[in-house]
Amino acid sequence: GRLLVVPMDGSHWFTMQMVVEKLIHRGHEVVVVIPEVSWQLGKSLNCTVKTYSISHTLEDLDREFKYLSYTQWKTPEHSIRSFLTGSARGFFELTFSHCRSLFNDKKLVEYLKQRFFDAVFLDPFDVCGLIVAKYFSLPSVIFARGVFCDYLEEGAQCPSLPSYVPRLFSKYTDTMTFKERVWNHLIYIEEHAFCSYFLRTAVEVASEILQTPVTMTDLFSPVSIWLLRTDFVLEFPRPVMPNMVFIGGINCLQKKSLSKEFEAYVNASGEHGIVVFSLGSMVSEIPEKKAMEIAEALGRIPQTVLWRYTGTRPSNLAKNTILVKWLPQNDLLGHPKTRAFITHSGSHGIYEGICNGVPMVMMPLFGDQMDNAKRMETRGAGVTLNVLEMTADDLENALKTVINNKSYKENIMRLSSLHKDRPIEPLDLAVFWVEYVMRHKGAPHLRPAAHDLTWYQYHSLDVIGFLLAIVLTVVFIVFKCCAYGCRKCFGGKGRVKKSHKSKTH
Amino acid sequence: GRLLVVPMDGSHWFTMQTVVEKLLHKGHEVVVVVPEVSWQLTKPLNFVVKTYAVSHTQEDLNREFKIFIDAQWKSQQEGGILPLLDSPAKGFFELLFSHCRSLFNDKKLVEYLKQTSFDAVFLDPFDVCGLTVAKYFSLPSVVFSRGIFCHYLEDAAQCPSPPSYIPRMLLKFTDTMTFKERTRNLLAYMGERAFCHKFFKSAADIASEVLQTPVTMTDLFSPVSIWLLRTDFVLEFPRPVMPNVIYIGGINCHQGKPLSKEFEAYVNASGEHGIVVFSLGSMVSEIPEKKAMEIAEALGRIPQTVLWRYTGTRPSNLAKNTILVKWLPQNDLLGHPKTRAFITHSGSHGIYEGICNGVPMVMMPLFGDQMDNAKRMETRGAGVTLNVLEMTADDLENALKTVINNKSYKENIMRLSSLHKDRPIEPLDLAVFWVEYVMRHKGAPHLRPAAHDLTWYQYHSLDVIGFLLAIVLTVVFIVFKCCAYGCRKCFGGKGRVKKSHKSKTH
Repeated sequence: GRLLVVPMDGSHWFTMQMVVEKLIHRGHEVVVVIPEVSWQLGKSLNCTVKTYSISHTLEDLDREFKYLSYTQWKTPEHSIRSFLTGSARGFFELTFSHCRSLFNDKKLVEYLKQRFFDAVFLDPFDVCGLIVAKYFSLPSVIFARGVFCDYLEEGAQCPSLPSYVPRLFSKYTDTMTFKERVWNHLIYIEEHAFCSYFLRTAVEVASEILQTPVTMTDLFSPVSIWLLRTDFVLEFPRPVMPNMVFIGGINCLQKKSLSKEFEAYVNASGEHGIVVFSLGSMVSEIPEKKAMEIAEALGRIPQTVLWRYTGTRPSNLAKNTILVKWLPQNDLLGHPKTRAFITHSGSHGIYEGICNGVPMVMMPLFGDQMDNAKRMETRGAGVTLNVLEMTADDLENALKTVINNKSYKENIMRLSSLHKDRPIEPLDLAVFWVEYVMRHKGAPHLRPAAHDLTWYQYHSLDVIGFLLAIVLTVVFIVFKCCAYGCRKCFGGKGRVKKSHKSKTH
Repeated sequence: GRLLVVPMDGSHWFTMQTVVEKLLHKGHEVVVVVPEVSWQLTKPLNFVVKTYAVSHTQEDLNREFKIFIDAQWKSQQEGGILPLLDSPAKGFFELLFSHCRSLFNDKKLVEYLKQTSFDAVFLDPFDVCGLTVAKYFSLPSVVFSRGIFCHYLEDAAQCPSPPSYIPRMLLKFTDTMTFKERTRNLLAYMGERAFCHKFFKSAADIASEVLQTPVTMTDLFSPVSIWLLRTDFVLEFPRPVMPNVIYIGGINCHQGKPLSKEFEAYVNASGEHGIVVFSLGSMVSEIPEKKAMEIAEALGRIPQTVLWRYTGTRPSNLAKNTILVKWLPQNDLLGHPKTRAFITHSGSHGIYEGICNGVPMVMMPLFGDQMDNAKRMETRGAGVTLNVLEMTADDLENALKTVINNKSYKENIMRLSSLHKDRPIEPLDLAVFWVEYVMRHKGAPHLRPAAHDLTWYQYHSLDVIGFLLAIVLTVVFIVFKCCAYGCRKCFGGKGRVKKSHKSKTH
């Protein structure tokens, strides 16, 4: 079949690429549409890649993202409002603007129209894939860690009770106190009321391209299959819909043997083993003061620390700490000598930690990272640090706790065995569902009828109102009859008084 | 691992047996507990079977079931599950529920089960006994069922089920309902919540007696680890599900085997018109004579050869093209390219065999989920439903000619068939996987939603909404009072006197 892929830049692309590669390998004609400027997307792929020119440079992108990630070390932005409208604002504006550039390329649009694709495979983060799917009226498959705001609820008609399903960014668990439930509810209301405002640039771009006013819900609701890159080992159990497929852990590959360089580091670590430390591919620099605190703490543990860091080398770096520009994270985590994993708790890292059963010290920075960290902490498989307030002592204690306290290792091993015990590999599942949508031109039989109901119909408010009206009418009539009966029976004064009253009414 | 199986009698056992056999084949130690009197369970099995004495005989069971079936040919219930409360099915259910008391009266058996220390219980919840056994021995459980009566799936799996687009069982509604239908659907839902416990009263009483503590049906259902539901969204309307609810519809569709000589001969003799397969399932042995004659007459009017599985008296007007058989290889016949249509009672097994093999159906639902199955297939344009009470020979003839000659029925069933068979893993393997999963991990606590620990008003956030409303109202009240006070200050004079007077009187 013919598949159009509209990916998102950055770490998002790592796992989506695996699925796309497998689809190419299975003989599908794949066309990937990407902006000419990007971090990861331009890397070689053996399929048709169509680029479109955009108005900004890679430096603009770097600058905006650096501003975003740097701000996280100083001021917390732990709500949907501050995330979408805070330091990330400029980055989001750049990302959302891509779609306008894509549709300005008339030749590309004409080419895409001529190709008659069977489906679109997209990352909804920059919204562009959704617009493309709607523009060409193609069935779509979403590939995402999660979906912002209430668009999963609206777009898939998936019930999400604020009483036990914590909202994104809330850092709550599935067991909330009354106060937490109140806040969770308020976050839900905020999302419902303001998300369209926070994301207005994306909505404007979409409305302009589709030449009709659309909402985010309009863009999300035609989605055929939602491939969600999570799993109920991490996520709290919640209602799902039949067209939602969970493929968490898709990035846990069979580990390869280490390169000579890393093999040497690991072997030199002795009985204490190693600690793997990475804040992900996107965070290149840490403020100097923080970096020094971290370096100090790392120097106080007996393990060898492999730290993936591209910023300036902290001056107080201890002998046991080795700075590297890149490290084979999954392979290192899979090594039996690895004792702990210091991570920003991005979803890829978290799942690699789970797969390989390595207890974690988590330093969440932005996005879903806080929530991931909270979930792992709740399950007793890691310790979360607040990057703003954390001192060298905190980090040292956290590391010693997860390494020396057996319960962390036991918990992560239990999660690992639950996670890996599945009837079908997530990568195969993802490939299956993309091909399914291509074969059947969507999955209309999995689309709930709830899409065609208004909100008051969905909640049966009209029916309840109608039934209440009947009950009240009956009660009223019965009451009146009784009153009339009483008057008849007891007669006299009461009768005169009441008939007088009814006249005045 | 060691697995305890508490099955349900009748056609329920057919597919559950395939799962149990596969588990046995994979090297698990399986113990099946069955009553000594049953239709299907006492058939020879190649695993450990423990029987317990029951107080009724095979004849009692047959009689009660016959009373129930015979009633279906005279009047059919309308309006959801509630009429079941006082229906001819009651006696049959009472017999089933009583099994559990008999099981626990067998002290030796209970002791044996206790000693064996099983990893999990694999059960059919229909007669409730499996649930009681799982709770008694505190074992994780896997439910295997077509569906769950009443609101127990909603309550026990905490699976939301908005009555605005999810039709309740036995109502024959689709997922697109008019206002009137939605009203009836909501009323049926409320009725289930209010009255279902009455239907299951004797089952809950027996469970309370066995467990020596008062329990409700929800208490029995809610510890279930995994729900294996024998349906699929090709038949079922899409609805919210929970992570521990696994759909294994079509588990009974095997690759068709070649036909035996007898049936091969029938099929080959049918010529270009092909054959029609007719079966009302393993449980319906007899049809009232008048109906049987009407049916026989209609069958005689079509050019196809009809293979009719029927164990009752041969109708006197049976035509030449109709062949009565005591049993037929239903799935293999449906898989034959010469098969043109399938007349079925629309039990879930038959429906899925029809879907797998892509054969348009004429449906004569009798009881249970059959009406709903028929309605769903009809909505999808893959079959025609007949009302067995009112149907005449003409109706049946027309229905058969429609599904055979109108191409759209064949196209629709073929589309459903291709959707149904396009799946990443075979339902049987999936079922076996999840039973083993529960055995390996002693349940699936990480799939248990936190909603179980909330009260109903917490679940629906009514306390939070009330609290927020109270705050809003207080703020509005204070603002209003302040404004009123401000107005008084500003406009002074008469108004002020008047208002201060008023506030005094209050």
